[in-house]
Amino acid sequence: MKITVDTGSCVSSGQCVLLAPEAFDQNEDDGTVVLLAEEPPAGAEEAVRQAELTCPAAAIRLSGA
Amino acid sequence: MTTTEETPRLPFTRANALAIAPDYDVLRRQAPVSRVLTPAGDPAWLVTSYEAAKEVFRDRRFGRSHPAPEQASRISHAALQNGPNGDFDTEERDHKRMRRMLAPAFSAPRMRALGDRIAELTDRCLDDLQAARDAHPGEPVDLTDFLAFPLPVLVICELLGVPYADREHFRGLSERIAVMNGGEDAQAAMAEFMAYMTKLADAKRADPQPDVISDMVAVQADDPTFTDDDLARMGAGLLFAGHETTSTRIAMGTLFLLSDTARRDRFAADPDGQVNQTVEEILRLTATSGTGLLRYAHEDVEIAGTRIMRGDAVLISSDAANRDASVFADPDGFDPDRTPNVHLAFGTGAHVCIGANLARTELRTVFPKLFRRFPGLRLAVGLDEIPVRTNRVAGGVERVPVEW
Repeated sequence: MKITVDTGSCVSSGQCVLLAPEAFDQNEDDGTVVLLAEEPPAGAEEAVRQAELTCPAAAIRLSGA
Repeated sequence: MTTTEETPRLPFTRANALAIAPDYDVLRRQAPVSRVLTPAGDPAWLVTSYEAAKEVFRDRRFGRSHPAPEQASRISHAALQNGPNGDFDTEERDHKRMRRMLAPAFSAPRMRALGDRIAELTDRCLDDLQAARDAHPGEPVDLTDFLAFPLPVLVICELLGVPYADREHFRGLSERIAVMNGGEDAQAAMAEFMAYMTKLADAKRADPQPDVISDMVAVQADDPTFTDDDLARMGAGLLFAGHETTSTRIAMGTLFLLSDTARRDRFAADPDGQVNQTVEEILRLTATSGTGLLRYAHEDVEIAGTRIMRGDAVLISSDAANRDASVFADPDGFDPDRTPNVHLAFGTGAHVCIGANLARTELRTVFPKLFRRFPGLRLAVGLDEIPVRTNRVAGGVERVPVEW
Protein backbone atom coordinates (compact mmCIF):
# COMPACT_ATOMS: atom_id res chain seq x y z
CA MET A 1 0.00 0.00 0.00
CA LYS A 2 1.32 3.43 -0.94
CA ILE A 3 0.64 6.73 0.83
CA THR A 4 0.58 10.01 -1.05
CA VAL A 5 -0.09 13.49 0.31
CA ASP A 6 -1.11 16.69 -1.43
CA THR A 7 0.57 19.54 0.44
CA GLY A 8 -1.21 22.04 -1.83
CA SER A 9 -4.63 21.17 -0.46
CA CYS A 10 -3.43 20.45 3.12
CA VAL A 11 -5.03 22.80 5.66
CA SER A 12 -2.50 22.11 8.46
CA SER A 13 -4.99 20.51 10.82
CA GLY A 14 -2.38 18.04 12.03
CA GLN A 15 -4.97 15.33 12.65
CA CYS A 16 -2.86 12.83 10.69
CA VAL A 17 0.15 13.47 12.94
CA LEU A 18 -1.86 12.90 16.07
CA LEU A 19 -3.32 9.69 14.63
CA ALA A 20 -0.26 8.20 12.94
CA PRO A 21 2.96 9.90 14.06
CA GLU A 22 4.91 7.00 12.49
CA ALA A 23 3.84 8.09 9.02
CA PHE A 24 3.20 11.84 9.21
CA ASP A 25 4.74 14.99 10.61
CA GLN A 26 4.06 18.71 10.24
CA ASN A 27 6.21 21.40 8.68
CA GLU A 28 7.41 23.73 11.47
CA ASP A 29 6.74 26.89 9.46
CA ASP A 30 3.22 26.48 8.16
CA GLY A 31 2.00 23.23 9.67
CA THR A 32 1.57 21.44 6.34
CA VAL A 33 1.89 17.67 6.21
CA VAL A 34 5.27 15.98 5.86
CA LEU A 35 5.21 12.35 4.74
CA LEU A 36 7.63 10.23 6.77
CA ALA A 37 6.92 6.87 5.16
CA GLU A 38 5.86 5.95 1.62
CA GLU A 39 4.13 2.87 2.97
CA PRO A 40 2.29 2.49 6.28
CA PRO A 41 4.84 1.28 8.86
CA ALA A 42 4.09 -2.14 10.38
CA GLY A 43 1.37 -1.84 13.00
CA ALA A 44 0.30 1.61 11.82
CA GLU A 45 -1.91 0.52 8.89
CA GLU A 46 -5.17 1.16 10.73
CA ALA A 47 -4.00 4.54 12.02
CA VAL A 48 -2.97 5.57 8.49
CA ARG A 49 -6.35 4.48 7.15
CA GLN A 50 -8.02 6.59 9.87
CA ALA A 51 -5.83 9.53 8.88
CA GLU A 52 -6.97 9.19 5.27
CA LEU A 53 -10.63 9.07 6.34
CA THR A 54 -10.46 11.97 8.76
CA CYS A 55 -8.21 14.36 6.83
CA PRO A 56 -10.34 17.54 6.62
CA ALA A 57 -8.80 18.45 3.27
CA ALA A 58 -8.84 14.94 1.76
CA ALA A 59 -5.12 15.49 1.20
CA ILE A 60 -4.08 11.93 2.07
CA ARG A 61 -4.54 9.08 -0.39
CA LEU A 62 -3.90 5.37 0.04
CA SER A 63 -3.50 3.29 -3.08
CA GLY A 64 -2.72 -0.32 -3.96
CA ALA A 65 -3.41 -3.45 -1.98
CA MET B 1 -53.29 28.71 -0.34
CA THR B 2 -52.09 29.09 3.19
CA THR B 3 -49.96 26.57 4.94
CA THR B 4 -50.57 25.49 8.50
CA GLU B 5 -46.99 24.36 8.94
CA GLU B 6 -44.77 26.96 10.51
CA THR B 7 -41.09 27.24 9.73
CA PRO B 8 -39.23 25.70 12.70
CA ARG B 9 -37.22 28.15 14.77
CA LEU B 10 -33.87 27.46 16.45
CA PRO B 11 -32.80 26.54 19.07
CA PHE B 12 -34.80 23.33 19.43
CA THR B 13 -35.67 21.89 22.82
CA ARG B 14 -33.87 18.79 24.06
CA ALA B 15 -34.74 16.33 26.80
CA ASN B 16 -31.47 16.54 28.75
CA ALA B 17 -27.80 17.40 28.48
CA LEU B 18 -26.84 14.18 26.68
CA ALA B 19 -29.64 14.15 24.13
CA ILE B 20 -30.11 16.29 21.05
CA ALA B 21 -33.46 17.73 20.06
CA PRO B 22 -35.62 15.17 18.21
CA ASP B 23 -36.52 17.89 15.68
CA TYR B 24 -33.16 17.39 13.93
CA ASP B 25 -34.02 13.81 13.12
CA VAL B 26 -37.51 14.78 11.95
CA LEU B 27 -36.05 17.42 9.61
CA ARG B 28 -33.29 15.13 8.30
CA ARG B 29 -35.87 12.49 7.37
CA GLN B 30 -37.61 15.09 5.22
CA ALA B 31 -34.49 16.56 3.56
CA PRO B 32 -30.76 16.99 4.17
CA VAL B 33 -31.20 20.77 4.05
CA SER B 34 -34.24 22.51 5.58
CA ARG B 35 -35.66 25.98 5.83
CA VAL B 36 -35.56 27.31 9.42
CA LEU B 37 -35.67 30.57 11.33
CA THR B 38 -32.61 31.57 13.35
CA PRO B 39 -32.89 32.46 17.04
CA ALA B 40 -32.91 36.07 15.82
CA GLY B 41 -35.96 35.26 13.66
CA ASP B 42 -34.30 35.51 10.22
CA PRO B 43 -34.48 32.83 7.49
CA ALA B 44 -31.64 30.33 7.09
CA TRP B 45 -30.93 26.85 5.74
CA LEU B 46 -30.21 24.17 8.32
CA VAL B 47 -28.02 21.24 7.24
CA THR B 48 -28.77 18.10 9.22
CA SER B 49 -27.38 15.22 7.14
CA TYR B 50 -23.79 14.07 7.44
CA GLU B 51 -23.02 14.05 3.72
CA ALA B 52 -24.54 17.46 3.08
CA ALA B 53 -22.72 18.90 6.12
CA LYS B 54 -19.41 17.58 4.82
CA GLU B 55 -20.18 18.95 1.37
CA VAL B 56 -20.91 22.46 2.66
CA PHE B 57 -17.88 22.44 4.98
CA ARG B 58 -15.66 21.57 2.00
CA ASP B 59 -17.27 23.83 -0.58
CA ARG B 60 -15.32 27.05 -1.06
CA ARG B 61 -18.40 28.82 -2.35
CA PHE B 62 -19.46 29.20 1.30
CA GLY B 63 -17.75 31.61 3.65
CA ARG B 64 -18.14 33.56 6.86
CA SER B 65 -18.41 36.90 5.09
CA HIS B 66 -21.42 38.20 3.14
CA PRO B 67 -21.62 40.02 -0.20
CA ALA B 68 -23.98 42.61 1.34
CA PRO B 69 -23.58 42.34 5.12
CA GLU B 70 -26.39 44.75 5.96
CA GLN B 71 -28.86 42.45 4.18
CA ALA B 72 -27.57 39.23 5.74
CA SER B 73 -29.73 37.03 7.96
CA ARG B 74 -28.78 37.52 11.59
CA ILE B 75 -28.32 34.41 13.66
CA SER B 76 -28.59 35.73 17.20
CA HIS B 77 -27.94 38.81 19.30
CA ALA B 78 -24.71 37.47 20.74
CA ALA B 79 -21.42 39.17 19.79
CA LEU B 80 -20.03 36.19 17.85
CA GLN B 81 -21.50 33.72 15.34
CA ASN B 82 -24.27 36.30 15.16
CA GLY B 83 -23.88 37.38 11.56
CA PRO B 84 -21.34 37.95 8.78
CA ASN B 85 -17.69 38.16 9.73
CA GLY B 86 -14.77 39.49 7.74
CA ASP B 87 -14.38 41.13 4.34
CA PHE B 88 -16.13 39.52 1.36
CA ASP B 89 -13.35 40.47 -1.07
CA THR B 90 -10.41 39.32 1.02
CA GLU B 91 -11.86 36.51 3.12
CA GLU B 92 -9.91 33.68 1.53
CA ARG B 93 -6.60 35.54 1.77
CA ASP B 94 -7.29 36.60 5.36
CA HIS B 95 -8.22 33.08 6.35
CA LYS B 96 -5.07 31.61 4.81
CA ARG B 97 -2.96 34.17 6.63
CA MET B 98 -4.61 33.31 9.92
CA ARG B 99 -4.07 29.57 9.48
CA ARG B 100 -0.48 30.04 8.44
CA MET B 101 0.13 32.27 11.44
CA LEU B 102 -1.47 29.92 13.93
CA ALA B 103 -0.74 26.46 12.52
CA PRO B 104 2.75 26.06 14.02
CA ALA B 105 1.55 26.95 17.54
CA PHE B 106 -1.28 24.40 17.33
CA SER B 107 0.64 21.69 15.47
CA ALA B 108 0.69 18.08 16.63
CA PRO B 109 4.42 18.16 17.53
CA ARG B 110 3.84 21.25 19.70
CA MET B 111 0.86 19.56 21.29
CA ARG B 112 2.96 16.49 22.06
CA ALA B 113 5.51 18.75 23.70
CA LEU B 114 2.74 20.43 25.67
CA GLY B 115 1.39 17.07 26.83
CA ASP B 116 3.51 16.83 30.00
CA ARG B 117 2.55 20.33 31.01
CA ILE B 118 -1.15 19.56 30.49
CA ALA B 119 -0.71 16.44 32.65
CA GLU B 120 0.84 18.53 35.41
CA LEU B 121 -1.94 21.12 35.26
CA THR B 122 -4.56 18.36 35.32
CA ASP B 123 -3.02 16.89 38.48
CA ARG B 124 -3.17 20.30 40.08
CA CYS B 125 -6.87 20.65 39.21
CA LEU B 126 -7.60 17.19 40.62
CA ASP B 127 -5.80 18.14 43.85
CA ASP B 128 -8.12 21.15 44.08
CA LEU B 129 -11.13 18.91 43.45
CA GLN B 130 -10.07 16.65 46.33
CA ALA B 131 -9.36 19.63 48.58
CA ALA B 132 -12.86 21.00 47.93
CA ARG B 133 -14.32 17.65 48.90
CA ASP B 134 -12.17 17.48 52.05
CA ALA B 135 -13.22 20.98 53.06
CA HIS B 136 -16.90 19.99 53.05
CA PRO B 137 -17.07 16.22 53.50
CA GLY B 138 -20.32 14.67 52.38
CA GLU B 139 -21.22 17.55 50.06
CA PRO B 140 -21.13 17.30 46.27
CA VAL B 141 -18.38 19.18 44.43
CA ASP B 142 -18.95 20.95 41.10
CA LEU B 143 -16.57 19.48 38.55
CA THR B 144 -16.91 22.54 36.33
CA ASP B 145 -15.45 24.79 39.04
CA PHE B 146 -12.36 22.69 39.70
CA LEU B 147 -11.61 20.92 36.42
CA ALA B 148 -13.79 21.58 33.37
CA PHE B 149 -13.34 25.36 33.52
CA PRO B 150 -9.87 25.93 35.04
CA LEU B 151 -7.92 23.32 33.04
CA PRO B 152 -8.63 24.60 29.51
CA VAL B 153 -8.16 28.15 30.79
CA LEU B 154 -4.75 27.32 32.28
CA VAL B 155 -3.70 25.67 29.01
CA ILE B 156 -4.94 28.35 26.62
CA CYS B 157 -3.45 31.08 28.84
CA GLU B 158 -0.02 29.47 28.55
CA LEU B 159 -0.34 28.96 24.81
CA LEU B 160 -1.58 32.46 24.03
CA GLY B 161 0.49 34.19 26.70
CA VAL B 162 -2.50 35.53 28.66
CA PRO B 163 -2.09 36.03 32.44
CA TYR B 164 -4.05 33.35 34.31
CA ALA B 165 -4.67 35.92 37.05
CA ASP B 166 -7.06 37.67 34.62
CA ARG B 167 -9.29 34.59 34.29
CA GLU B 168 -12.30 35.93 36.18
CA HIS B 169 -12.23 39.06 34.02
CA PHE B 170 -12.23 37.22 30.69
CA ARG B 171 -14.51 34.47 31.98
CA GLY B 172 -17.11 37.15 32.59
CA LEU B 173 -16.49 38.70 29.17
CA SER B 174 -16.60 35.29 27.44
CA GLU B 175 -19.94 34.55 29.03
CA ARG B 176 -21.41 37.90 28.06
CA ILE B 177 -20.31 37.89 24.40
CA ALA B 178 -21.87 34.45 23.88
CA VAL B 179 -25.35 35.10 25.29
CA MET B 180 -27.66 34.62 22.29
CA ASN B 181 -30.01 37.45 23.27
CA GLY B 182 -27.17 39.50 24.77
CA GLY B 183 -27.69 42.48 22.46
CA GLU B 184 -26.01 45.67 23.63
CA ASP B 185 -24.43 44.02 26.63
CA ALA B 186 -22.81 41.36 24.40
CA GLN B 187 -21.46 44.12 22.13
CA ALA B 188 -20.16 46.10 25.10
CA ALA B 189 -18.45 42.98 26.45
CA MET B 190 -16.85 42.35 23.02
CA ALA B 191 -15.52 45.91 22.95
CA GLU B 192 -14.07 45.41 26.42
CA PHE B 193 -12.61 42.03 25.44
CA MET B 194 -10.93 43.58 22.39
CA ALA B 195 -9.56 46.44 24.49
CA TYR B 196 -8.09 43.85 26.85
CA MET B 197 -6.42 42.00 23.95
CA THR B 198 -5.11 45.26 22.47
CA LYS B 199 -3.44 46.10 25.79
CA LEU B 200 -1.96 42.63 25.96
CA ALA B 201 -0.68 42.90 22.37
CA ASP B 202 0.98 46.21 23.24
CA ALA B 203 2.80 44.50 26.11
CA LYS B 204 3.97 41.68 23.77
CA ARG B 205 5.11 44.22 21.18
CA ALA B 206 7.39 45.76 23.80
CA ASP B 207 8.49 42.42 25.21
CA PRO B 208 7.84 39.42 22.90
CA GLN B 209 7.47 35.98 24.45
CA PRO B 210 7.21 32.47 23.00
CA ASP B 211 3.42 32.61 22.74
CA VAL B 212 0.69 33.03 20.14
CA ILE B 213 -0.13 36.68 20.85
CA SER B 214 3.56 37.50 20.31
CA ASP B 215 3.45 35.50 17.03
CA MET B 216 0.47 37.56 15.90
CA VAL B 217 2.21 40.80 16.80
CA ALA B 218 5.23 39.67 14.75
CA VAL B 219 3.04 38.90 11.73
CA GLN B 220 1.41 42.30 12.07
CA ALA B 221 4.80 44.03 11.91
CA ASP B 222 5.26 42.58 8.39
CA ASP B 223 1.68 42.93 7.19
CA PRO B 224 -0.05 46.29 7.71
CA THR B 225 -3.33 44.91 6.34
CA PHE B 226 -3.58 42.88 9.56
CA THR B 227 -5.00 45.67 11.67
CA ASP B 228 -5.07 46.19 15.45
CA ASP B 229 -8.77 45.50 15.25
CA ASP B 230 -8.18 42.18 13.42
CA LEU B 231 -5.61 41.19 16.01
CA ALA B 232 -7.83 42.06 18.97
CA ARG B 233 -10.82 40.23 17.52
CA MET B 234 -8.78 37.14 16.67
CA GLY B 235 -7.11 37.11 20.08
CA ALA B 236 -10.47 37.38 21.86
CA GLY B 237 -11.87 34.67 19.59
CA LEU B 238 -8.98 32.31 20.34
CA LEU B 239 -9.21 32.90 24.07
CA PHE B 240 -12.96 32.33 23.97
CA ALA B 241 -12.81 29.27 21.70
CA GLY B 242 -9.82 27.85 23.53
CA HIS B 243 -11.61 27.46 26.79
CA GLU B 244 -15.40 27.50 26.30
CA THR B 245 -15.47 24.59 23.88
CA THR B 246 -13.02 22.29 25.68
CA SER B 247 -14.62 23.14 28.99
CA THR B 248 -17.95 21.98 27.59
CA ARG B 249 -16.41 18.74 26.35
CA ILE B 250 -14.83 17.91 29.70
CA ALA B 251 -18.12 18.51 31.51
CA MET B 252 -20.20 16.62 28.95
CA GLY B 253 -17.67 13.80 28.61
CA THR B 254 -17.78 13.26 32.36
CA LEU B 255 -21.57 13.24 32.18
CA PHE B 256 -21.51 10.63 29.40
CA LEU B 257 -19.19 8.42 31.43
CA LEU B 258 -21.08 8.87 34.71
CA SER B 259 -24.58 8.48 33.34
CA ASP B 260 -24.07 4.70 33.10
CA THR B 261 -22.11 2.94 35.86
CA ALA B 262 -21.11 0.02 33.62
CA ARG B 263 -19.75 2.49 31.07
CA ARG B 264 -17.77 4.29 33.77
CA ASP B 265 -16.39 1.03 35.19
CA ARG B 266 -15.39 -0.19 31.77
CA PHE B 267 -13.45 3.01 31.12
CA ALA B 268 -11.94 3.14 34.63
CA ALA B 269 -10.68 -0.44 34.22
CA ASP B 270 -8.49 0.46 31.22
CA PRO B 271 -8.37 4.23 30.76
CA ASP B 272 -5.19 4.34 28.70
CA GLY B 273 -6.33 1.61 26.34
CA GLN B 274 -9.74 3.15 25.78
CA VAL B 275 -9.13 6.84 25.94
CA ASN B 276 -8.63 7.69 22.27
CA GLN B 277 -11.81 6.04 21.06
CA THR B 278 -13.75 7.20 24.11
CA VAL B 279 -12.73 10.79 23.42
CA GLU B 280 -13.83 10.49 19.78
CA GLU B 281 -17.21 9.17 20.90
CA ILE B 282 -17.57 12.01 23.41
CA LEU B 283 -16.73 14.47 20.64
CA ARG B 284 -19.26 12.87 18.29
CA LEU B 285 -22.12 12.90 20.79
CA THR B 286 -21.62 16.19 22.60
CA ALA B 287 -24.27 18.57 21.38
CA THR B 288 -23.01 22.11 21.77
CA SER B 289 -24.52 25.15 20.14
CA GLY B 290 -28.19 25.34 19.35
CA THR B 291 -27.55 26.76 15.91
CA GLY B 292 -24.67 24.95 14.25
CA LEU B 293 -21.81 26.64 12.41
CA LEU B 294 -22.60 29.61 10.21
CA ARG B 295 -21.79 30.11 6.54
CA TYR B 296 -23.10 32.40 3.81
CA ALA B 297 -23.37 31.33 0.18
CA HIS B 298 -20.99 33.40 -1.95
CA GLU B 299 -22.66 32.15 -5.16
CA ASP B 300 -25.84 30.27 -6.06
CA VAL B 301 -25.14 26.68 -5.04
CA GLU B 302 -27.09 23.43 -5.20
CA ILE B 303 -26.63 21.15 -2.18
CA ALA B 304 -28.37 17.76 -2.03
CA GLY B 305 -31.00 18.96 -4.51
CA THR B 306 -31.68 22.24 -2.70
CA ARG B 307 -30.95 25.49 -4.46
CA ILE B 308 -29.23 27.94 -2.13
CA MET B 309 -29.01 31.52 -3.36
CA ARG B 310 -26.04 33.87 -3.08
CA GLY B 311 -26.14 35.58 0.31
CA ASP B 312 -28.34 32.94 2.00
CA ALA B 313 -27.35 31.94 5.54
CA VAL B 314 -26.53 28.27 6.05
CA LEU B 315 -26.25 26.69 9.50
CA ILE B 316 -24.40 23.40 9.58
CA SER B 317 -25.49 21.30 12.52
CA SER B 318 -22.56 19.06 13.41
CA ASP B 319 -24.71 17.85 16.31
CA ALA B 320 -27.28 16.50 13.87
CA ALA B 321 -24.74 15.28 11.28
CA ASN B 322 -22.90 13.32 13.97
CA ARG B 323 -26.09 11.42 14.74
CA ASP B 324 -27.05 10.65 11.14
CA ALA B 325 -28.15 7.00 11.15
CA SER B 326 -27.06 6.54 7.52
CA VAL B 327 -23.44 6.95 8.68
CA PHE B 328 -23.44 5.97 12.38
CA ALA B 329 -25.26 2.77 13.37
CA ASP B 330 -27.36 3.28 16.53
CA PRO B 331 -26.44 6.97 16.33
CA ASP B 332 -27.60 7.93 19.83
CA GLY B 333 -25.74 5.05 21.47
CA PHE B 334 -22.42 5.68 23.25
CA ASP B 335 -20.09 3.15 21.66
CA PRO B 336 -16.34 3.66 22.09
CA ASP B 337 -15.75 0.60 19.85
CA ARG B 338 -17.24 2.45 16.91
CA THR B 339 -14.89 2.34 13.93
CA PRO B 340 -14.43 4.32 11.87
CA ASN B 341 -15.74 7.30 13.81
CA VAL B 342 -15.29 10.15 11.38
CA HIS B 343 -17.45 12.71 13.18
CA LEU B 344 -17.69 16.41 12.33
CA ALA B 345 -17.24 17.82 15.84
CA PHE B 346 -14.39 20.04 14.60
CA GLY B 347 -15.98 20.70 11.23
CA THR B 348 -13.93 19.72 8.19
CA GLY B 349 -12.46 21.37 5.10
CA ALA B 350 -10.45 24.57 4.98
CA HIS B 351 -12.06 25.98 8.15
CA VAL B 352 -11.57 22.86 10.30
CA CYS B 353 -11.01 23.82 13.96
CA ILE B 354 -7.41 24.89 14.38
CA GLY B 355 -7.51 23.87 18.04
CA ALA B 356 -8.60 20.28 17.35
CA ASN B 357 -5.24 18.81 18.34
CA LEU B 358 -5.13 20.92 21.46
CA ALA B 359 -8.63 19.79 22.44
CA ARG B 360 -7.79 16.14 21.77
CA THR B 361 -4.57 16.37 23.78
CA GLU B 362 -6.41 17.90 26.73
CA LEU B 363 -9.28 15.42 26.60
CA ARG B 364 -6.93 12.43 26.22
CA THR B 365 -5.07 13.59 29.33
CA VAL B 366 -7.97 14.56 31.53
CA PHE B 367 -10.26 11.50 31.43
CA PRO B 368 -7.66 8.82 32.31
CA LYS B 369 -6.33 10.99 35.13
CA LEU B 370 -9.80 11.73 36.47
CA PHE B 371 -10.92 8.10 36.52
CA ARG B 372 -7.63 6.65 37.74
CA ARG B 373 -7.77 8.98 40.69
CA PHE B 374 -11.53 8.74 41.30
CA PRO B 375 -12.68 5.39 39.85
CA GLY B 376 -15.84 5.53 41.94
CA LEU B 377 -16.83 9.04 40.80
CA ARG B 378 -20.60 9.44 40.47
CA LEU B 379 -23.16 12.11 39.71
CA ALA B 380 -24.60 13.69 42.82
CA VAL B 381 -27.89 14.56 41.10
CA GLY B 382 -30.03 12.99 38.39
CA LEU B 383 -29.15 13.75 34.77
CA ASP B 384 -32.39 15.67 34.33
CA GLU B 385 -31.36 18.04 37.12
CA ILE B 386 -28.27 19.22 35.22
CA PRO B 387 -29.28 22.55 33.64
CA VAL B 388 -28.40 22.87 29.92
CA ARG B 389 -27.29 26.28 28.69
CA THR B 390 -29.60 26.83 25.73
CA ASN B 391 -28.92 30.52 25.47
CA ARG B 392 -25.15 30.28 24.81
CA VAL B 393 -23.27 30.08 21.53
CA ALA B 394 -21.05 27.26 22.84
CA GLY B 395 -23.83 25.51 24.73
CA GLY B 396 -22.73 23.39 27.66
CA VAL B 397 -24.16 22.79 31.11
CA GLU B 398 -24.32 24.99 34.18
CA ARG B 399 -22.69 22.49 36.57
CA VAL B 400 -21.69 18.87 37.08
CA PRO B 401 -22.10 18.03 40.79
CA VAL B 402 -20.11 14.90 41.62
CA GLU B 403 -19.24 12.84 44.67
CA TRP B 404 -17.07 9.82 45.43
